[in-house]
Formats: sequence, structure tokens, C-alpha cells
Amino acid sequence: MGRLEGKVAFVTAAGGAIAGATARLFAAEGAAVACVDIVEANVKKTAADIKAAGGKAIDIVCDVTDEDAVKSAIDETVSAFGKLNVVFNAAAFTDPLLPLHELDVALWRKTFDVNITGMFIVTKYAIPHMKNAGSGSFVNISSIYGARAAKKRPAYCSSKGAVRMLSKSVAVDYAEDNIRANSILPGPIETPRLLVANKNMDDVINRHRPHLPAARLGQPMEIAKTAVFLASEESSFMSGNDCFVDGAYNAI
Amino acid sequence: MGRLEGKVAFITASGGAIAGATARLFGAEGAAVCCVDIVEENVNQAATDINDAGGKAIAITCDVTDDDAVRTAVDKTVAEFGKVDVCFNAAAYSEKRHRLADMPLDMWKSVIDVNLTGMFIVARHVIPQMQAAGGGSIINVSSIYGVVGAKERPAYCAAKGGVRMLSKSIAVDYAVDNIRANSIMPGPIETPRLLARNPSIEAVIERHGPRLHQKRLGKPEEIAQTALFLASDDASFTSGADMIVDGAYTAF
Repeated sequence: MGRLEGKVAFVTAAGGAIAGATARLFAAEGAAVACVDIVEANVKKTAADIKAAGGKAIDIVCDVTDEDAVKSAIDETVSAFGKLNVVFNAAAFTDPLLPLHELDVALWRKTFDVNITGMFIVTKYAIPHMKNAGSGSFVNISSIYGARAAKKRPAYCSSKGAVRMLSKSVAVDYAEDNIRANSILPGPIETPRLLVANKNMDDVINRHRPHLPAARLGQPMEIAKTAVFLASEESSFMSGNDCFVDGAYNAI
Repeated sequence: MGRLEGKVAFITASGGAIAGATARLFGAEGAAVCCVDIVEENVNQAATDINDAGGKAIAITCDVTDDDAVRTAVDKTVAEFGKVDVCFNAAAYSEKRHRLADMPLDMWKSVIDVNLTGMFIVARHVIPQMQAAGGGSIINVSSIYGVVGAKERPAYCAAKGGVRMLSKSIAVDYAVDNIRANSIMPGPIETPRLLARNPSIEAVIERHGPRLHQKRLGKPEEIAQTALFLASDDASFTSGADMIVDGAYTAF
């Protein structure tokens, strides 16, 4: 019996490394998964992998900043699987490294649009379905940079701080509907996206010293396992929490 | 296959509601459990329940503020089960309500001794065993009152804040040994101890007013499930974290 048996999950950025691992693990734990991403080839691959492994999945190409598209995606999920219990909100835009006074207003807006307004839109359309289902769990991807500043990333840090407070706001307002909301704050995770921005993983680890006391990066599957815990009934009294998954990065 | 198969856990305050639920869940998930408590009858009951359910457990009566007694208890655990992988530190004591200036010094010292120094003593004896085992997970029970203040409980609040930082200190110093350390901050949990301090559960819910958004207290099993996550390899990149299990109490 899987830990998410009978649940339906909506996973954004499911074509990426972290949400892709999460979508696959959710399905392996028994959830039916709507895999959502803006990149068609990637999201199709995630859904195909889940189905090949015997799980239930659909793929939906959708830009989370497009209100109509998100509404359709959620409707499509409910018509395919009958309800919605879990949302994993992971879509994010990585802005270029720039100090604040050199950052274009357009890039600031784009970062906020994807990282936090997109989450608002997904959440807005998911909540009525969770109310219908009698309960729900939002798992929102913030970042350690929602708690501590990274150099030359004013928009990203601000938007990830906003994610933390969005989760707490949802937690407080919808507790009476048995809907929970928590943030995960990942430390540096070994993803293809991180590798594109860096020569190799050792450089990343060295740059973060002394913040990575275990001298390693996290793996996407370590975020996915935290997400399973937060999505499942195991965390039934946990809401509004900042779940740091950072190898003690934020402890020093 | 249990989620803690092959692991050995040392659990203080196992005779109590929260650590008792944790010991039973760890036993059911395949861990061999050393149940430790200062009250012989209660700790014997916890170990008996685990053994009767087909698990592996021993009971040790021990005062966590007694360095020699804790050393002996850890040695006995290793003699019985071969190692220590997981430590759940829950022994705690709360003063009667006093504002700081009205509190006798002895009362302050006894709260700090059990809640904080006892945790230091347990950690100092389990860490070498975890180093020998190649890694480990220490789970320290703090409280929401380690994050926000409670009225007329200066020693309890100070001690629980100390627990939070003790966990982070261990997380940072022993990451090189593959030892993780995290805190759990429970909100108000429905335990016999809480009932003894209050006329009824309803009175507690009433007193906490708008901060208990689900209009209910937490259950010991909900803390146990969080401990299970932290004890397991699912939390392999989670260290130095504050797991607030409070139904969004501190989010508001």
C-alpha cells in the first residue's frame, strides 16, 4: 500500500529535475499525477515514465502565469482523475546574476510572475477542488534563498521569501477546510540546471563553504521524499512550516 | 519492509505519551528500540507493548541528568542491539507558572537540567556510537515555545530555545560523520500531562483561541510520524531543521 494511495496530485515543473523526481515518487506511492510543465517534451517524458512503471499520469503543457491555461489544466486533472488532493508548486524562473540597481524592471517582474504569481494562480484554482475533496495539501517550493540572501539575486530571493509567507497565509486561512500548506526550502541540489550554471559540482560545494557541512549537494530525490511526507497524512498536524532540506546549510 | 528496518533507536521519555507513541511506531517500522524513562513502570509498559506486537525492545530506567546512568544505558543498548543509529530526545519537565522574578533559582536550574543538559548528556554518549556505526540521526523535541513565548514559563521557553540551537550545533559539527540532527517543535498535543495541567481539552483549545486553526490539538502519533521521517533515510539531506508540527499555530 503506497503512502499516497487514492490521492490525486498536480505537480508543476514536472519536466524539471526536482518536480520530475517528485512526480515519479508520488506515482510510485500510489498517487495519480497530473504532470504540468511549460516544456512539452520534458513533461511528456515524466508522464510516460510514470505510466511505463505502472503508475497513473497525464501530461499537460501549461504556463503557470496564464490564468486561463491553469484553470483548464486543473479542470483537465479533475476530469481525468475525479478530484484533487495534493499540489506540488515548483515552477520557478532563475534570473541572471545582477545587483539590484542593474536589474531591469522587466526581469524583476518576470521572476515574480513565475515564482509567486504563478503559485497564487495554481493555488486559487486548486482550493475549491480541495474543499470538495474534504482536505488537501500544498507543498510549495521556496529555497534557502527565501531565508538567507544569495549574492546578486534580489528578485529570486525576494520571490522565494514570498513563497514562504504565501504558504503560511494559505495554512491559516484554509485550516478550517482541512487544507494544509507548507514550504520546502531546498539547499543546493544537484540538477542539470545547476550544472549549466557551474563548471562542476566541486566548484559549487567549494563556493558554498562553510555552508555545506556534509560537503555534498542534495539530490532531487531527497526533496521528493520530503514532499511525500508533506503530501501524506503522516504530516496531518503540520501546516505553515518551513521545511529546510539543506544539509544544515541554514544552521550555520 | 519497515522504514527503519535494521536501525537501533534510543528513546528518552518513552514512558510518556509522545515518546511512547514514537517508540511504538519505530518498533512497528522495524527498529530495535531502547526505551528509556525515569519512571520504571511506564517504560516497562512501552517495551512490553513493542515486544508483544512482534517488535524488538528493551526497557531501561534512567535519569537523563545523570551522566553515569546515561553512559550505562547507551552501553547496554549497544550490548543488546550492537549499535545506535537513531536518538529521540524527549525527556522534559516544565516549571509551575511563574514570571521570571518570582521564580526560585532551584526551579530554573531543574528545568534547564532536564530539558537541556539532559539532552547534551544523551547526545554526548550516543554520538561516538553513531560515529562507529557510520552515521546517525538525532531528533530533539523542542516546542513551539522554543520559537514563540509562552506566558509565565521563562525556564521552559529558554530551555526549548536552547534545544533548537543544540540541534543545529550538532548538525554543523557532525555532518562530516554523516550524523544529522533536527528539532521537532510540537504545538499543543493531547497528552495525559496536558490534561493534568488543564480542566479539559476544550479549555485548552479555547485558551489558544485563533491560533489553533484546525480547532483541535495535535496527537502524539502526529509527532511520532514526523520523528519517523527524520529518523529514516528519507530525510538524508535534512539536518539542522526546525520541524514545526503545530497545525499552523506559529504561522499566525
